[in-house]
Amino acid sequence: MKRLIMSTTFLILTLLSLEIGAMSEVGLSSLFSGDEMARFIFLHSRLPRTLAVILAAAGLSVAGLIMQSISRNKFMSPTTAGTTDAAALGLLISFVFLGHMSGYIQAIFAFIFALAGTLLFTAVINRLKIREVVYIPLLGMMYGGVLGAVATTIAFQFEAQQVLNQFNMGTFARLGNFDLVYVVIAPLVVAVIYATRFSIIGLGEDFAKNLGLNYNRVVMVGLVIVSLISASTFVAVGPLPFVGLIIPNMATSFYGDNLKKSIFDLMMFGAVFVLACDIASRLIIFPFEMNVSVTISLVGGVIFMVYLIRGMYGGKKSRKAA
Amino acid sequence: MIEVKNISQTYDSRSERDTITDVSLTVRENTITALIGANGAGKSTLLSVMTNLIPAKKGNVTIDGVDVRKIKTSEVAKKVAFLKQTHQLSIKITVRDLVEYGRFPHCGGRLKDTDHAKVNECIDYMNLEELSEKYLDEISGGQRQRAFIAMILAQDTPYIFLDEPLNNLDIKYSVEMMKIVHKLVSELDKTVVIVLHDINFAAAYAGHIVAMKDGKIYKEGTPNEVITTEVLNPVFDHDFHITEHDGKNICLYYD
Repeated sequence: MKRLIMSTTFLILTLLSLEIGAMSEVGLSSLFSGDEMARFIFLHSRLPRTLAVILAAAGLSVAGLIMQSISRNKFMSPTTAGTTDAAALGLLISFVFLGHMSGYIQAIFAFIFALAGTLLFTAVINRLKIREVVYIPLLGMMYGGVLGAVATTIAFQFEAQQVLNQFNMGTFARLGNFDLVYVVIAPLVVAVIYATRFSIIGLGEDFAKNLGLNYNRVVMVGLVIVSLISASTFVAVGPLPFVGLIIPNMATSFYGDNLKKSIFDLMMFGAVFVLACDIASRLIIFPFEMNVSVTISLVGGVIFMVYLIRGMYGGKKSRKAA
Repeated sequence: MIEVKNISQTYDSRSERDTITDVSLTVRENTITALIGANGAGKSTLLSVMTNLIPAKKGNVTIDGVDVRKIKTSEVAKKVAFLKQTHQLSIKITVRDLVEYGRFPHCGGRLKDTDHAKVNECIDYMNLEELSEKYLDEISGGQRQRAFIAMILAQDTPYIFLDEPLNNLDIKYSVEMMKIVHKLVSELDKTVVIVLHDINFAAAYAGHIVAMKDGKIYKEGTPNEVITTEVLNPVFDHDFHITEHDGKNICLYYD
Protein backbone atom coordinates (compact mmCIF):
# COMPACT_ATOMS: atom_id res chain seq x y z
CA MET A 1 0.00 0.00 0.00
CA LYS A 2 2.75 2.41 1.07
CA ARG A 3 4.61 1.29 -2.00
CA LEU A 4 1.63 1.95 -4.29
CA ILE A 5 1.15 5.51 -3.02
CA MET A 6 4.87 6.19 -3.28
CA SER A 7 5.21 4.84 -6.83
CA THR A 8 2.15 6.78 -7.99
CA THR A 9 3.51 10.01 -6.52
CA PHE A 10 6.86 9.24 -8.08
CA LEU A 11 5.30 8.72 -11.52
CA ILE A 12 3.20 11.88 -11.32
CA LEU A 13 6.18 13.98 -10.26
CA THR A 14 8.37 12.47 -12.98
CA LEU A 15 5.77 13.35 -15.62
CA LEU A 16 5.36 16.85 -14.17
CA SER A 17 9.11 17.34 -14.21
CA LEU A 18 9.18 16.34 -17.87
CA GLU A 19 6.39 18.75 -18.76
CA ILE A 20 7.61 21.90 -17.01
CA GLY A 21 9.91 24.29 -18.82
CA ALA A 22 10.18 27.64 -20.52
CA MET A 23 8.86 26.16 -23.76
CA SER A 24 5.38 25.10 -22.76
CA GLU A 25 4.70 23.16 -25.94
CA VAL A 26 7.54 20.74 -25.15
CA GLY A 27 6.53 17.62 -23.30
CA LEU A 28 6.25 13.88 -23.43
CA SER A 29 3.96 14.28 -26.44
CA SER A 30 6.68 16.02 -28.47
CA LEU A 31 8.42 12.65 -28.74
CA PHE A 32 5.68 11.54 -31.09
CA SER A 33 4.83 14.82 -32.76
CA GLY A 34 6.64 15.85 -35.90
CA ASP A 35 8.18 18.92 -34.22
CA GLU A 36 11.93 18.30 -34.45
CA MET A 37 12.82 21.27 -32.23
CA ALA A 38 10.51 20.19 -29.42
CA ARG A 39 11.79 16.68 -29.70
CA PHE A 40 15.39 17.87 -29.44
CA ILE A 41 14.65 19.95 -26.32
CA PHE A 42 12.84 17.03 -24.75
CA LEU A 43 15.62 14.53 -25.38
CA HIS A 44 18.53 16.83 -24.58
CA SER A 45 17.18 18.97 -21.77
CA ARG A 46 14.00 17.73 -20.11
CA LEU A 47 14.72 14.02 -20.03
CA PRO A 48 18.35 14.23 -18.85
CA ARG A 49 17.36 16.75 -16.22
CA THR A 50 14.65 14.53 -14.78
CA LEU A 51 16.94 11.52 -14.85
CA ALA A 52 19.64 13.55 -13.13
CA VAL A 53 17.24 14.53 -10.36
CA ILE A 54 16.14 10.94 -9.81
CA LEU A 55 19.65 9.46 -9.88
CA ALA A 56 21.25 12.14 -7.71
CA ALA A 57 18.46 11.88 -5.14
CA ALA A 58 18.46 8.09 -5.08
CA GLY A 59 22.25 8.02 -4.84
CA LEU A 60 22.52 10.50 -2.01
CA SER A 61 19.75 8.78 -0.05
CA VAL A 62 21.53 5.44 -0.26
CA ALA A 63 24.90 7.08 0.50
CA GLY A 64 23.42 8.64 3.62
CA LEU A 65 21.96 5.39 4.88
CA ILE A 66 25.23 3.54 4.29
CA MET A 67 27.09 6.18 6.30
CA GLN A 68 24.54 5.92 9.07
CA SER A 69 24.87 2.14 9.18
CA ILE A 70 28.65 2.20 9.21
CA SER A 71 28.91 4.83 11.92
CA ARG A 72 25.81 3.59 13.79
CA ASN A 73 24.78 7.22 13.97
CA LYS A 74 21.54 8.51 12.47
CA PHE A 75 23.06 11.95 11.98
CA MET A 76 25.86 10.99 9.62
CA SER A 77 25.55 11.95 5.96
CA PRO A 78 27.68 13.38 3.17
CA THR A 79 26.62 16.87 4.33
CA THR A 80 27.44 16.30 7.99
CA ALA A 81 30.78 14.50 7.64
CA GLY A 82 32.59 16.93 5.35
CA THR A 83 32.24 14.63 2.32
CA THR A 84 30.55 17.24 0.14
CA ASP A 85 32.93 20.02 1.19
CA ALA A 86 35.93 17.80 0.53
CA ALA A 87 34.52 17.02 -2.94
CA ALA A 88 34.18 20.77 -3.58
CA LEU A 89 37.79 21.31 -2.50
CA GLY A 90 38.97 18.56 -4.86
CA LEU A 91 36.96 20.02 -7.71
CA LEU A 92 38.42 23.48 -7.08
CA ILE A 93 41.99 22.16 -6.93
CA SER A 94 41.56 20.32 -10.22
CA PHE A 95 40.22 23.53 -11.73
CA VAL A 96 42.97 25.78 -10.36
CA PHE A 97 45.88 23.55 -11.31
CA LEU A 98 44.62 21.82 -14.42
CA GLY A 99 42.23 24.38 -15.83
CA HIS A 100 39.03 23.31 -17.57
CA MET A 101 39.13 19.56 -17.76
CA SER A 102 36.48 17.09 -18.71
CA GLY A 103 33.88 16.35 -16.08
CA TYR A 104 35.32 12.89 -15.53
CA ILE A 105 38.77 14.20 -14.51
CA GLN A 106 37.07 16.68 -12.19
CA ALA A 107 34.97 13.90 -10.75
CA ILE A 108 38.07 11.80 -10.04
CA PHE A 109 39.61 14.68 -8.09
CA ALA A 110 36.37 15.25 -6.24
CA PHE A 111 36.14 11.53 -5.47
CA ILE A 112 39.69 11.26 -4.08
CA PHE A 113 39.18 14.29 -1.88
CA ALA A 114 35.75 13.14 -0.75
CA LEU A 115 37.10 9.72 0.23
CA ALA A 116 40.15 11.15 2.03
CA GLY A 117 38.06 13.82 3.76
CA THR A 118 35.50 11.28 4.97
CA LEU A 119 38.17 8.82 6.14
CA LEU A 120 39.87 11.58 8.11
CA PHE A 121 36.62 12.62 9.75
CA THR A 122 35.57 9.07 10.67
CA ALA A 123 39.06 8.34 12.07
CA VAL A 124 38.93 11.45 14.26
CA ILE A 125 35.39 10.69 15.42
CA ASN A 126 36.37 7.12 16.39
CA ARG A 127 39.29 8.46 18.41
CA LEU A 128 37.17 11.02 20.25
CA LYS A 129 34.56 8.46 21.33
CA ILE A 130 31.77 11.00 21.60
CA ARG A 131 28.78 9.63 23.47
CA GLU A 132 26.22 12.24 22.43
CA VAL A 133 25.33 11.37 18.84
CA VAL A 134 23.95 14.83 18.11
CA TYR A 135 27.40 16.41 18.45
CA ILE A 136 28.76 14.44 15.52
CA PRO A 137 26.81 16.23 12.76
CA LEU A 138 27.59 19.57 14.39
CA LEU A 139 31.29 18.71 14.49
CA GLY A 140 31.08 17.43 10.92
CA MET A 141 29.51 20.67 9.73
CA MET A 142 32.28 22.64 11.46
CA TYR A 143 34.82 20.40 9.77
CA GLY A 144 33.03 21.03 6.47
CA GLY A 145 33.24 24.75 7.22
CA VAL A 146 36.99 24.48 7.69
CA LEU A 147 37.35 22.65 4.37
CA GLY A 148 35.17 25.34 2.80
CA ALA A 149 37.44 28.03 4.23
CA VAL A 150 40.48 26.31 2.77
CA ALA A 151 38.71 26.22 -0.60
CA THR A 152 37.86 29.94 -0.31
CA THR A 153 41.46 30.80 0.51
CA ILE A 154 42.74 28.87 -2.49
CA ALA A 155 40.07 30.39 -4.71
CA PHE A 156 41.05 33.85 -3.46
CA GLN A 157 44.74 33.26 -4.20
CA PHE A 158 44.01 32.13 -7.71
CA GLU A 159 41.14 34.53 -8.33
CA ALA A 160 38.71 31.70 -8.79
CA GLN A 161 36.01 32.82 -6.35
CA GLN A 162 33.43 32.96 -9.10
CA VAL A 163 34.09 29.37 -10.07
CA LEU A 164 33.85 28.28 -6.45
CA ASN A 165 30.55 30.10 -6.02
CA GLN A 166 29.26 28.33 -9.07
CA PHE A 167 30.34 24.92 -7.68
CA ASN A 168 28.50 25.53 -4.46
CA MET A 169 25.17 26.17 -6.16
CA GLY A 170 23.16 23.02 -6.50
CA THR A 171 21.11 23.18 -9.65
CA PHE A 172 19.69 20.91 -12.26
CA ALA A 173 19.72 23.75 -14.79
CA ARG A 174 23.39 23.20 -15.70
CA LEU A 175 23.67 21.44 -19.00
CA GLY A 176 26.62 19.42 -20.13
CA ASN A 177 27.86 17.67 -17.03
CA PHE A 178 24.68 15.69 -16.50
CA ASP A 179 26.12 12.52 -17.94
CA LEU A 180 28.32 12.34 -14.84
CA VAL A 181 25.25 11.59 -12.81
CA TYR A 182 25.04 8.24 -14.58
CA VAL A 183 28.26 7.31 -12.74
CA VAL A 184 25.99 6.96 -9.70
CA ILE A 185 24.46 3.81 -11.19
CA ALA A 186 27.56 1.66 -10.63
CA PRO A 187 27.94 2.32 -6.86
CA LEU A 188 24.16 1.92 -6.51
CA VAL A 189 24.35 -1.56 -8.02
CA VAL A 190 27.14 -2.47 -5.59
CA ALA A 191 25.06 -1.03 -2.75
CA VAL A 192 22.17 -3.31 -3.68
CA ILE A 193 24.50 -6.33 -3.70
CA TYR A 194 26.04 -5.34 -0.36
CA ALA A 195 22.72 -4.31 1.21
CA THR A 196 22.55 -7.11 3.78
CA ARG A 197 26.20 -6.58 4.72
CA PHE A 198 25.62 -2.89 5.43
CA SER A 199 22.63 -3.70 7.62
CA ILE A 200 24.64 -6.28 9.57
CA ILE A 201 27.47 -3.77 10.05
CA GLY A 202 24.85 -1.45 11.54
CA LEU A 203 24.47 -3.93 14.41
CA GLY A 204 28.09 -3.48 15.44
CA GLU A 205 31.57 -4.74 14.69
CA ASP A 206 31.45 -7.80 16.95
CA PHE A 207 28.06 -8.76 15.61
CA ALA A 208 29.34 -8.55 12.03
CA LYS A 209 32.51 -10.49 12.80
CA ASN A 210 30.49 -13.21 14.49
CA LEU A 211 28.69 -13.74 11.20
CA GLY A 212 32.00 -14.06 9.39
CA LEU A 213 31.95 -10.64 7.72
CA ASN A 214 35.20 -8.92 6.86
CA TYR A 215 34.27 -5.80 8.81
CA ASN A 216 37.01 -3.48 7.56
CA ARG A 217 36.43 -4.43 3.96
CA VAL A 218 32.69 -3.79 4.12
CA VAL A 219 33.31 -0.40 5.77
CA MET A 220 35.81 0.50 3.05
CA VAL A 221 33.43 -0.59 0.25
CA GLY A 222 30.76 1.54 1.92
CA LEU A 223 32.94 4.62 2.10
CA VAL A 224 34.03 4.23 -1.51
CA ILE A 225 30.37 4.00 -2.58
CA VAL A 226 29.51 7.08 -0.52
CA SER A 227 32.43 9.07 -1.92
CA LEU A 228 31.74 8.06 -5.53
CA ILE A 229 28.10 9.04 -5.25
CA SER A 230 28.86 12.30 -3.44
CA ALA A 231 31.61 13.30 -5.84
CA SER A 232 29.79 12.50 -9.07
CA THR A 233 26.54 14.18 -8.00
CA PHE A 234 28.53 17.17 -6.76
CA VAL A 235 30.34 17.65 -10.06
CA ALA A 236 27.18 17.07 -12.07
CA VAL A 237 24.60 19.11 -10.15
CA GLY A 238 26.32 20.68 -7.14
CA PRO A 239 25.46 20.19 -3.49
CA LEU A 240 22.03 18.91 -2.52
CA PRO A 241 22.33 19.55 1.21
CA PHE A 242 20.57 17.38 3.81
CA VAL A 243 19.18 14.89 1.27
CA GLY A 244 21.57 12.18 2.51
CA LEU A 245 20.58 12.93 6.08
CA ILE A 246 16.84 13.47 6.22
CA ILE A 247 15.74 11.03 3.52
CA PRO A 248 17.23 7.92 5.20
CA ASN A 249 15.83 9.05 8.55
CA MET A 250 12.34 9.56 7.17
CA ALA A 251 12.41 6.47 4.97
CA THR A 252 13.61 4.11 7.71
CA SER A 253 10.86 5.24 10.04
CA PHE A 254 8.43 3.90 7.41
CA TYR A 255 10.30 0.97 5.96
CA GLY A 256 12.77 -0.05 8.67
CA ASP A 257 16.52 -0.48 8.35
CA ASN A 258 16.76 -3.82 6.59
CA LEU A 259 18.41 -2.29 3.54
CA LYS A 260 17.86 -5.35 1.38
CA LYS A 261 14.11 -4.95 1.71
CA SER A 262 13.96 -1.17 1.69
CA ILE A 263 16.68 0.05 -0.66
CA PHE A 264 14.34 0.67 -3.60
CA ASP A 265 11.76 2.35 -1.38
CA LEU A 266 14.54 4.53 -0.02
CA MET A 267 15.66 5.55 -3.51
CA MET A 268 12.11 6.33 -4.56
CA PHE A 269 11.49 8.33 -1.40
CA GLY A 270 14.58 10.44 -2.09
CA ALA A 271 13.61 10.93 -5.71
CA VAL A 272 10.10 12.10 -4.77
CA PHE A 273 11.52 14.62 -2.31
CA VAL A 274 14.07 16.12 -4.71
CA LEU A 275 11.66 16.04 -7.68
CA ALA A 276 9.14 18.00 -5.61
CA CYS A 277 11.80 20.51 -4.55
CA ASP A 278 13.05 20.85 -8.12
CA ILE A 279 9.57 21.39 -9.53
CA ALA A 280 8.88 23.98 -6.84
CA SER A 281 12.14 25.79 -7.65
CA ARG A 282 11.12 25.94 -11.29
CA LEU A 283 7.60 27.19 -10.66
CA ILE A 284 8.10 29.84 -7.97
CA ILE A 285 9.58 32.49 -10.30
CA PHE A 286 8.47 30.89 -13.60
CA PRO A 287 9.77 31.12 -16.33
CA PHE A 288 13.03 31.65 -14.41
CA GLU A 289 14.14 29.22 -11.78
CA MET A 290 15.73 29.19 -8.35
CA ASN A 291 18.69 27.03 -7.47
CA VAL A 292 17.31 23.75 -6.22
CA SER A 293 19.86 23.75 -3.39
CA VAL A 294 18.14 26.81 -1.94
CA THR A 295 14.77 25.08 -1.85
CA ILE A 296 16.28 21.89 -0.47
CA SER A 297 18.22 23.80 2.18
CA LEU A 298 15.06 25.57 3.31
CA VAL A 299 12.88 22.47 3.51
CA GLY A 300 15.67 20.09 4.51
CA GLY A 301 17.12 22.46 7.08
CA VAL A 302 13.81 22.66 8.92
CA ILE A 303 13.40 18.87 8.93
CA PHE A 304 17.02 18.48 10.08
CA MET A 305 16.35 20.87 12.99
CA VAL A 306 13.33 18.81 14.00
CA TYR A 307 15.42 15.62 14.00
CA LEU A 308 18.23 17.33 15.89
CA ILE A 309 15.92 18.57 18.62
CA ARG A 310 14.15 15.22 18.79
CA GLY A 311 17.55 13.53 18.98
CA MET A 312 18.52 15.65 21.97
CA TYR A 313 15.32 14.94 23.88
CA GLY A 314 14.87 11.41 22.56
CA GLY A 315 18.41 10.59 23.66
CA LYS A 316 17.61 11.63 27.21
CA LYS A 317 14.43 9.64 27.24
CA SER A 318 16.01 6.41 26.05
CA ARG A 319 18.78 6.79 28.62
CA LYS A 320 16.21 7.00 31.37
CA ALA A 321 14.49 3.90 30.09
CA ALA A 322 17.80 2.02 30.12
CA MET B 1 36.26 -29.74 20.11
CA ILE B 2 37.63 -26.34 21.07
CA GLU B 3 40.96 -26.21 22.84
CA VAL B 4 42.80 -23.19 24.12
CA LYS B 5 46.53 -23.55 24.73
CA ASN B 6 48.70 -21.09 26.66
CA ILE B 7 46.83 -18.01 25.55
CA SER B 8 48.27 -14.65 26.62
CA GLN B 9 46.89 -11.27 25.68
CA THR B 10 48.51 -8.12 26.97
CA TYR B 11 47.03 -4.67 26.69
CA ASP B 12 48.18 -1.29 27.89
CA SER B 13 46.20 0.33 30.68
CA ARG B 14 44.30 2.55 28.23
CA SER B 15 42.69 -0.41 26.53
CA GLU B 16 39.15 -1.43 27.40
CA ARG B 17 40.13 -5.09 27.26
CA ASP B 18 41.53 -7.02 30.17
CA THR B 19 44.83 -8.81 30.10
CA ILE B 20 44.99 -12.61 30.29
CA THR B 21 48.11 -14.67 30.89
CA ASP B 22 48.86 -18.26 29.97
CA VAL B 23 45.34 -19.64 29.93
CA SER B 24 44.69 -23.20 28.78
CA LEU B 25 41.23 -24.68 28.60
CA THR B 26 39.40 -27.51 26.91
CA VAL B 27 35.74 -26.82 26.26
CA ARG B 28 33.63 -29.75 27.38
CA GLU B 29 31.27 -30.91 24.64
CA ASN B 30 27.52 -30.87 25.14
CA THR B 31 27.76 -29.00 28.45
CA ILE B 32 27.17 -25.50 29.75
CA THR B 33 30.53 -24.10 30.81
CA ALA B 34 30.20 -20.96 32.92
CA LEU B 35 32.99 -18.40 33.27
CA ILE B 36 32.87 -16.51 36.54
CA GLY B 37 35.14 -13.97 38.14
CA ALA B 38 35.37 -10.36 39.24
CA ASN B 39 35.29 -7.46 36.77
CA GLY B 40 38.58 -7.25 34.93
CA ALA B 41 39.43 -10.92 35.47
CA GLY B 42 39.59 -11.44 31.69
CA LYS B 43 36.42 -13.45 31.07
CA SER B 44 35.28 -11.43 28.07
CA THR B 45 38.78 -11.28 26.62
CA LEU B 46 39.05 -15.06 26.87
CA LEU B 47 35.69 -15.43 25.13
CA SER B 48 36.73 -13.05 22.35
CA VAL B 49 39.98 -14.95 21.81
CA MET B 50 38.25 -18.33 21.80
CA THR B 51 35.86 -17.16 19.09
CA ASN B 52 38.70 -15.54 17.13
CA LEU B 53 37.06 -12.13 17.42
CA ILE B 54 40.45 -10.96 18.61
CA PRO B 55 43.35 -13.10 17.38
CA ALA B 56 45.51 -14.56 20.13
CA LYS B 57 48.80 -12.75 20.63
CA LYS B 58 50.45 -15.80 22.20
CA GLY B 59 49.33 -19.40 22.23
CA ASN B 60 46.68 -20.89 20.01
CA VAL B 61 43.05 -21.84 19.74
CA THR B 62 42.04 -24.96 17.84
CA ILE B 63 38.60 -25.99 16.60
CA ASP B 64 38.44 -29.74 15.93
CA GLY B 65 42.23 -29.80 15.94
CA VAL B 66 42.71 -27.00 13.38
CA ASP B 67 44.25 -23.66 14.35
CA VAL B 68 41.48 -21.11 14.24
CA ARG B 69 43.72 -18.59 12.46
CA LYS B 70 44.01 -21.01 9.53
CA ILE B 71 40.24 -21.24 9.09
CA LYS B 72 38.43 -18.65 6.94
CA THR B 73 36.33 -16.28 9.07
CA SER B 74 33.23 -17.28 7.15
CA GLU B 75 33.93 -20.94 8.03
CA VAL B 76 34.53 -20.09 11.72
CA ALA B 77 31.10 -18.44 11.66
CA LYS B 78 29.56 -21.81 10.77
CA LYS B 79 31.20 -23.45 13.78
CA VAL B 80 31.07 -20.83 16.51
CA ALA B 81 28.38 -18.29 17.30
CA PHE B 82 29.13 -15.51 19.74
CA LEU B 83 26.59 -13.17 21.28
CA LYS B 84 28.03 -10.14 23.04
CA GLN B 85 26.60 -8.48 26.09
CA THR B 86 25.46 -5.08 24.82
CA HIS B 87 23.18 -4.58 21.92
CA GLN B 88 22.57 -0.92 21.63
CA LEU B 89 20.17 -0.94 18.77
CA SER B 90 20.66 1.96 16.45
CA ILE B 91 18.85 0.37 13.55
CA LYS B 92 15.26 -0.59 13.09
CA ILE B 93 14.81 -4.20 11.98
CA THR B 94 12.19 -6.84 12.61
CA VAL B 95 12.70 -10.07 14.56
CA ARG B 96 12.59 -11.98 11.28
CA ASP B 97 15.21 -9.69 9.68
CA LEU B 98 17.52 -10.38 12.61
CA VAL B 99 17.05 -14.14 12.48
CA GLU B 100 17.65 -14.06 8.72
CA TYR B 101 21.01 -12.36 9.32
CA GLY B 102 21.95 -15.49 11.25
CA ARG B 103 21.92 -17.38 7.93
CA PHE B 104 24.53 -15.04 6.47
CA PRO B 105 27.50 -17.43 6.90
CA HIS B 106 25.56 -20.09 4.99
CA CYS B 107 24.00 -18.12 2.16
CA GLY B 108 25.75 -14.73 2.02
CA GLY B 109 22.51 -12.76 2.31
CA ARG B 110 20.59 -14.54 -0.47
CA LEU B 111 18.31 -16.89 1.39
CA LYS B 112 17.21 -20.11 -0.30
CA ASP B 113 14.21 -22.22 0.64
CA THR B 114 16.27 -24.25 3.11
CA ASP B 115 17.44 -21.03 4.77
CA HIS B 116 13.89 -19.74 5.09
CA ALA B 117 12.84 -23.08 6.56
CA LYS B 118 15.64 -22.86 9.12
CA VAL B 119 14.66 -19.28 10.01
CA ASN B 120 11.05 -20.34 10.59
CA GLU B 121 12.18 -23.31 12.65
CA CYS B 122 14.31 -21.09 14.91
CA ILE B 123 11.55 -18.51 15.30
CA ASP B 124 9.13 -21.28 16.28
CA TYR B 125 11.64 -22.87 18.66
CA MET B 126 12.01 -19.58 20.55
CA ASN B 127 8.23 -18.98 20.56
CA LEU B 128 8.54 -15.80 18.53
CA GLU B 129 5.94 -16.56 15.81
CA GLU B 130 3.63 -13.76 16.85
CA LEU B 131 6.44 -11.26 17.23
CA SER B 132 8.31 -12.11 14.04
CA GLU B 133 7.16 -9.03 12.12
CA LYS B 134 7.61 -6.66 15.06
CA TYR B 135 10.54 -4.27 15.20
CA LEU B 136 13.14 -5.04 17.87
CA ASP B 137 12.55 -1.72 19.59
CA GLU B 138 8.86 -2.54 20.02
CA ILE B 139 9.35 -5.67 22.13
CA SER B 140 10.53 -6.23 25.70
CA GLY B 141 14.14 -6.83 26.73
CA GLY B 142 13.47 -10.50 27.39
CA GLN B 143 11.80 -10.98 24.02
CA ARG B 144 14.66 -9.19 22.31
CA GLN B 145 17.19 -11.48 24.00
CA ARG B 146 15.15 -14.45 22.74
CA ALA B 147 15.26 -12.97 19.24
CA PHE B 148 19.06 -12.78 19.42
CA ILE B 149 19.19 -16.41 20.59
CA ALA B 150 16.97 -17.34 17.63
CA MET B 151 19.46 -15.60 15.36
CA ILE B 152 22.34 -17.56 16.94
CA LEU B 153 20.33 -20.76 16.39
CA ALA B 154 19.78 -19.86 12.74
CA GLN B 155 23.54 -19.59 12.45
CA ASP B 156 23.40 -23.32 13.14
CA THR B 157 26.73 -23.75 14.91
CA PRO B 158 27.71 -26.56 17.29
CA TYR B 159 29.33 -24.03 19.65
CA ILE B 160 27.56 -21.08 21.22
CA PHE B 161 29.35 -18.43 23.28
CA LEU B 162 27.29 -15.98 25.32
CA ASP B 163 28.76 -12.96 27.05
CA GLU B 164 26.59 -11.97 30.01
CA PRO B 165 23.23 -12.69 28.38
CA LEU B 166 21.40 -11.94 31.63
CA ASN B 167 22.45 -8.29 31.71
CA ASN B 168 19.44 -5.98 31.94
CA LEU B 169 17.05 -8.90 32.36
CA ASP B 170 14.86 -9.19 35.43
CA ILE B 171 14.68 -12.41 37.44
CA LYS B 172 11.81 -13.93 35.48
CA TYR B 173 13.50 -13.43 32.12
CA SER B 174 16.90 -14.46 33.52
CA VAL B 175 15.50 -17.80 34.64
CA GLU B 176 13.68 -18.18 31.31
CA MET B 177 16.92 -17.44 29.46
CA MET B 178 18.92 -20.00 31.48
CA LYS B 179 16.22 -22.62 30.88
CA ILE B 180 16.49 -21.91 27.16
CA VAL B 181 20.28 -22.24 27.29
CA HIS B 182 19.83 -25.50 29.15
CA LYS B 183 17.44 -26.71 26.43
CA LEU B 184 19.98 -25.83 23.74
CA VAL B 185 22.34 -28.32 25.34
CA SER B 186 19.86 -31.06 26.26
CA GLU B 187 17.64 -30.92 23.16
CA LEU B 188 19.85 -29.56 20.40
CA ASP B 189 23.19 -31.02 21.54
CA LYS B 190 24.89 -27.63 21.54
CA THR B 191 28.02 -26.79 23.48
CA VAL B 192 27.62 -23.53 25.39
CA VAL B 193 30.21 -21.30 27.03
CA ILE B 194 28.66 -18.48 29.00
CA VAL B 195 29.97 -15.58 31.06
CA LEU B 196 27.76 -15.08 34.10
CA HIS B 197 27.80 -12.37 36.70
CA ASP B 198 25.44 -14.08 39.10
CA ILE B 199 27.32 -17.01 40.62
CA ASN B 200 24.14 -18.77 41.69
CA PHE B 201 22.89 -18.95 38.10
CA ALA B 202 26.17 -20.66 37.27
CA ALA B 203 25.76 -22.98 40.26
CA ALA B 204 22.21 -23.89 39.26
CA TYR B 205 22.55 -24.40 35.50
CA ALA B 206 26.19 -24.97 34.51
CA GLY B 207 27.77 -28.39 34.17
CA HIS B 208 31.26 -27.00 34.47
CA ILE B 209 32.49 -23.77 36.04
CA VAL B 210 35.71 -21.90 35.31
CA ALA B 211 36.67 -19.31 37.92
CA MET B 212 39.05 -16.62 36.72
CA LYS B 213 41.17 -14.19 38.69
CA ASP B 214 43.64 -11.58 37.39
CA GLY B 215 43.73 -12.99 33.88
CA LYS B 216 44.33 -16.59 34.94
CA ILE B 217 42.16 -19.62 35.59
CA TYR B 218 42.04 -19.97 39.35
CA LYS B 219 40.03 -23.16 39.47
CA GLU B 220 37.79 -25.19 37.19
CA GLY B 221 35.50 -28.08 37.96
CA THR B 222 31.94 -29.13 38.68
CA PRO B 223 29.73 -26.55 40.43
CA ASN B 224 30.17 -28.22 43.79
CA GLU B 225 33.94 -28.16 43.38
CA VAL B 226 34.07 -24.48 42.50
CA ILE B 227 31.27 -23.05 44.61
CA THR B 228 33.26 -23.27 47.84
CA THR B 229 34.62 -20.60 50.14
CA GLU B 230 38.19 -21.74 49.37
CA VAL B 231 37.71 -20.83 45.70
CA LEU B 232 35.21 -17.97 45.76
CA ASN B 233 36.71 -15.94 48.61
CA PRO B 234 40.02 -15.29 46.85
CA VAL B 235 38.45 -15.08 43.35
CA PHE B 236 36.01 -12.34 44.33
CA ASP B 237 38.02 -10.96 47.25
CA HIS B 238 34.99 -11.25 49.48
CA ASP B 239 33.71 -13.47 52.32
CA PHE B 240 31.17 -16.00 51.06
CA HIS B 241 28.81 -18.21 52.93
CA ILE B 242 27.91 -21.45 51.16
CA THR B 243 24.75 -23.41 51.84
CA GLU B 244 23.31 -26.45 50.17
CA HIS B 245 20.01 -26.64 48.35
CA ASP B 246 18.81 -29.80 46.55
CA GLY B 247 22.36 -31.14 46.63
CA LYS B 248 23.73 -28.01 44.91
CA ASN B 249 25.98 -25.46 46.55
CA ILE B 250 24.42 -22.01 46.67
CA CYS B 251 26.30 -18.98 47.90
CA LEU B 252 25.26 -16.06 50.03
CA TYR B 253 27.37 -12.99 49.77
CA TYR B 254 25.63 -10.50 52.04
CA ASP B 255 27.52 -9.25 55.07
